[in-house]
Amino acid sequence: MATPTEQLDDSEGGPLERWTKRAIKDPQRVYRALFYVAMAFFVVTTLFPFYWLLVLAVTPRQNLLSGSFLPEIDLFGAGMTFPLPVPRKGFAPGSFITIFEQIPFHLFVLNSFVLAITTTIIVLFVASLSGYVFGRLDFPGRALLMLGILAVSYFPPAAFLIPLFEAFAGNEPIVIPFTQIPLFTAPRLLNTPGSMVIPFSGLFLPLAVFILTTFYAQIPDGLEDAARVEGTTRLGALFRVIMPLSAPGVATAAVLTFISVYNEYFFSSLMALSPSAENWSPLVGGILSYQTQYTTQFNLMAAASVVGVLPVVILVVVAQERIVSGLTSGALKE
Amino acid sequence: MSTDTAERTRESRRSGMLIAAVRWMENLSETWYAYLLLTPIFIILGVVALYPLLRTFELSLYAVSTDLTSLNFVGLENYIELFTGGKDRYLPGSNTFLPTTLSMPAIVSSALAVTIVFAVVSVFFETLIGLGQALVLDQDFYGRRWIRAAIIIPWAVPVVIQGIIFYLMFNSNIGFATPPLADLGLLASTNTLNDPLSALFIILVADIWKTSAFMALLILAGLQSIDRSLYNVAKVAGASKWQQFKHITFPLILPTVAVAVLFRMVGAMKVYGIIDTVSSCAVLPSLSCMVVSTFNTRVGTSASIAFVTAAIIGIIVMIVIVWQGEDAI
Repeated sequence: MATPTEQLDDSEGGPLERWTKRAIKDPQRVYRALFYVAMAFFVVTTLFPFYWLLVLAVTPRQNLLSGSFLPEIDLFGAGMTFPLPVPRKGFAPGSFITIFEQIPFHLFVLNSFVLAITTTIIVLFVASLSGYVFGRLDFPGRALLMLGILAVSYFPPAAFLIPLFEAFAGNEPIVIPFTQIPLFTAPRLLNTPGSMVIPFSGLFLPLAVFILTTFYAQIPDGLEDAARVEGTTRLGALFRVIMPLSAPGVATAAVLTFISVYNEYFFSSLMALSPSAENWSPLVGGILSYQTQYTTQFNLMAAASVVGVLPVVILVVVAQERIVSGLTSGALKE
Repeated sequence: MSTDTAERTRESRRSGMLIAAVRWMENLSETWYAYLLLTPIFIILGVVALYPLLRTFELSLYAVSTDLTSLNFVGLENYIELFTGGKDRYLPGSNTFLPTTLSMPAIVSSALAVTIVFAVVSVFFETLIGLGQALVLDQDFYGRRWIRAAIIIPWAVPVVIQGIIFYLMFNSNIGFATPPLADLGLLASTNTLNDPLSALFIILVADIWKTSAFMALLILAGLQSIDRSLYNVAKVAGASKWQQFKHITFPLILPTVAVAVLFRMVGAMKVYGIIDTVSSCAVLPSLSCMVVSTFNTRVGTSASIAFVTAAIIGIIVMIVIVWQGEDAI
């Protein structure tokens, strides 16, 4: 290892001693080493659970239950054994096919996609109108309305659940609170996409509004004025000039909304009354089916989770810049 | 021929209406145009947030009658009973709303205490780890993009899959993490996921794993807005890295981090899905958990818990907004 030039400075001692000597002369080396240790630690801790899922997914079920799939190693020679998950006994990738055979898992994932895409379209349209207003127009009550929208985004979904569930059941007419005046009876929306898309739109609108407000405010007034002089209507200027020019912002809002809906648990698990794909139960229902129906088929649970997590992992890798800019430009809003 | 003309007139009438609508919109004042464009968001937030909030409060003033068929107006009685323990019998398991004593078992079986402990502890560790991650990502190094993606991925993992991951890691049949941690006395060695203290530990680890990256991104944004020349001045003055952190980095990112911490805490108080997946609401109660487990049978109780949750969160958000003023937007 040691080259002759280095040997001049550090003539004796083991590698650790030599490293320490050099580190004392040059503290930068210590920071560099600390940096790599920290980086390795963070990467290992964030990625290890996925590795564990993969190990479980490809290990045959009998080996999982007998516990023989974990080799025991001596830790620091202290006589203490630490089970490290390493795929050693048996390789059964068939679980990735079985998950689609036991329940229609692909339909659950498809439901999640349909819900996420529908919500994203609604949110982008409504948030574009609001983002344009907050970012480019001046009117009384602007700050107060923005604060109101901000506040809504922090309320817990549990505070909205009971009345929404009651309304979506469609049994009794919706009444104006604190009066007995009936307004109308909503159609029965439970077990339909509507019962999820409506609450999702409300929950994830505020973040999209704040992101688009920031982006739309940055488009120079001159461009909008030029479009108006050319004869475009006010709405035309928004959708044909400002929105295309803010494409990165729109993409950011779209990616964040999509991920939020795909990840949502609360309404996703409650608004579909039974976890079956025909009732529009999304990913949550599919994965929980494995937990409740096939309680000891841990390899299937793991395989289903790997499949379910793939779309968002791909999205994060592809749209990383957009996610980072959205979370930080909408900064502390969500 | 005649149908053709009729169609054409209908079409021209429709385009006439469209032109009229466009002309009407073009002539609106800026203020009215602003309110017009805000109508859709008001309708959605009215339906999804405002109406449910008011209706929840209204329902919280009623109790299910003894024959379980109708609702009786009881005023604030639900709230009084909630805080005096009268509603505890409707909660699943042996859970309570307020802790009965200040002992650990009493705290982990109280919905309010569990929620607050979860929010405070998880956000504390998320901020520490997020700061560490942000300091790493703030450096320039080869492959930074990939490391950043790796660190963000847990944030994007669906709650249900996050739950399954930690369920599988700590399950007493196949989980590898339970034996060593049980040896250290941190977890119960058998039936781990049904032990309230162990379950709390596990959902804390799960939440810290998932959400640290979010704090890291916010802190990273703060770090990158710091004027780099300050560090050059400090280097010339002979400040060590630690002194640079203590006197430049930390004070400058503190305001950003403080607001992020408060808002994250509010978010953490919504905890539900991870408890439902890893353990169960009967083992470890949170406020949202209690709303869900009572809303089918005891609407009044459920609504009062929901409204208390909303009120606590509303008060914290109000304090932050008043404190931050216009900067909060």
